[in-house]
Amino acid sequence: MLIIFIPSILLVILSFFKINRTLMAGVSSLIIVPAIYIFLHPFVNEYFLVDKLNSFVLLISSIVGVGVSLSMISLPDRLNLNEEAIKRFYRFFGIFWFGLIISILANNMGIFWIGLEFATLSTVYMIKVKDSLTAHKEAWKYLTVGAIAISLVLFGIILMYASAKGVLGENAMNFYALANSADKINSFLFEIGFTISVTGFFIKMGFFPMNLWLADIERASIYPVAALFSGILESAIMLGFFRLSKIEMLVNASHLVTFSYIYAIFTLFMVSFLIYRTKDFVTTFALSGIEHMVLITIFWVSGGYFAALLHLAAHAFLKPALFLSSSMLEQKRRYSFKGALKGYKNKLVPLLISLLLLGIISIPPSPMFFSEIFGFKAMLDVAQDSDYFLVMIFAIFIIMILLSIIFYKFITIYQEALYDGKDEPKKVYKSEIAMLLLFTISLLALILPQVFDYIEGIIK
Amino acid sequence: MIDVLIGFYIATLITELFTTRLYRLLGWYALNSLFLGLIAIYMGAQIGDNAMIISGTITIIIKFMLIPYVLKYIATKFKIPRNINPNLKVHYSTIIVPVILVFTYYLVNPIIHNMAYNANYVALSISSLFLAMLLIIEHKNIAPKIVGFLSIENALFLLAISATKGMPMLVELGIFVDLLMLIVIVNILFKHQGDF
Repeated sequence: MLIIFIPSILLVILSFFKINRTLMAGVSSLIIVPAIYIFLHPFVNEYFLVDKLNSFVLLISSIVGVGVSLSMISLPDRLNLNEEAIKRFYRFFGIFWFGLIISILANNMGIFWIGLEFATLSTVYMIKVKDSLTAHKEAWKYLTVGAIAISLVLFGIILMYASAKGVLGENAMNFYALANSADKINSFLFEIGFTISVTGFFIKMGFFPMNLWLADIERASIYPVAALFSGILESAIMLGFFRLSKIEMLVNASHLVTFSYIYAIFTLFMVSFLIYRTKDFVTTFALSGIEHMVLITIFWVSGGYFAALLHLAAHAFLKPALFLSSSMLEQKRRYSFKGALKGYKNKLVPLLISLLLLGIISIPPSPMFFSEIFGFKAMLDVAQDSDYFLVMIFAIFIIMILLSIIFYKFITIYQEALYDGKDEPKKVYKSEIAMLLLFTISLLALILPQVFDYIEGIIK
Repeated sequence: MIDVLIGFYIATLITELFTTRLYRLLGWYALNSLFLGLIAIYMGAQIGDNAMIISGTITIIIKFMLIPYVLKYIATKFKIPRNINPNLKVHYSTIIVPVILVFTYYLVNPIIHNMAYNANYVALSISSLFLAMLLIIEHKNIAPKIVGFLSIENALFLLAISATKGMPMLVELGIFVDLLMLIVIVNILFKHQGDF
């Protein structure tokens, strides 16, 4: 078990010595080794349980980690980061990964929370790697709002634990034990706790009413931090939502569907119009991340597990790739889309970024195209089985209209980046091309029939 | 006895809301944590739960002694302003605090009806959660906001010991470790705040 923490501990130790960027990226990429090991060798003990769901999330998170490490080879040159800043980034990246493994593999709500809090606190300092007043302010903002969100999660966990302690004793903290005894627990107390915890998760992911909170932070921090948020931290939070909502489905499925749909529509309404008005790549991608988390949430609660997990994996690869590509797109002008895809000597770069940019709005053969087809089918199935058929159809209709606004904006951005503006020469580093290739290959792997079969088998 | 301790616990938290000096705020937070630790020890002794007694003792060591001392050290080292006037005027706070205390009872009435034990303590811990949130909202300075977050954590600890008769020991130890990590992060953030 302890072997899985070795790369992150190694990363923290090495960050105290003089560093070689390539060596550090190599060591950092070692995080994938234990993830593959766990994927192939599941284990269970008192506090941790490796099943298909969390080993899958850990594997995709570690691939994102490798992509981020690759981009860190050249990023300091782009942003003029000094050695001390790079050291601090890797030190806190090691701690972040340590907390994340605990959180993802936990079969205990309390330990899940501890890991998540650990990961959250370590990202606070990563935001401030770039030495600017905005980054400093956003780091404090993240600490304050993030701490309140995570406190709400703990508040809910205490109530859920209280709802089942009389029946299960200390096992009431255990996800699987709670699911197995869902009919015996105090359903009212559990639902209150669930609602509060999930609200905490949603705030952390930038759902209504905190839509701009995360976007501002991602804009102020360096690109890899935004990539870690969208590709890894959000996946871990979503995993917590998956675990708890599976129990809530057994307690009261209709409450879960109603709560999630209402929250999702409010969030999507805000986000779609905010995306429509954005003026830079990072804010657009950050807000789009919220949109995708909303879709994953409603696919999951509608019973479209395959769609939700495929969407989660596709988003985990697409969004960090786009955030990291922003360092190339924004090298001439930060607040302009025009001409961002022009001026590259290596024609592979604009091609790959274009594929990613179109992939995020589900243009085939993006995995998101398939996940949305299956997801909307699941939503229609829920509507058919519901007593409120017309209301559900209306909700789905609203969601599709809001998504079409986002689709339109992304197409406009793509066209402006490709056809408008000046053809100014832009610099691309080898490590950035390697990062783009890694994410593109990972995305293509997701549409293999064998991978489809695997994801379908995660939740039967 | 627990009623008396919880009374003091709430009283110190309310005093935090009216304090305008940073070191005094840290002092009131320390006292708040001391009463919380004593509540855990007393409750643990009553039900014969050694884990709760240990948690109470660790609370006193970390939150009563260590954290206020470290925060005071950080405040002195980085010359953090000691004058922390709340944005909310005192006469408004005087109205809001009792309103929170009374209406929380109505708000959480359905929850406390579902509690098998310590229903009143649960209501009080949720009130203290709202009061701690008020502490965060009413201040512009970052130092009282941190104390507000630590007070939220105290309220959640009280909720955990009253609603569930204590969480598993490992989870509680993990929460203490997270708190220490928070203090480390706060220290580093102040240390590297740059020249702006």
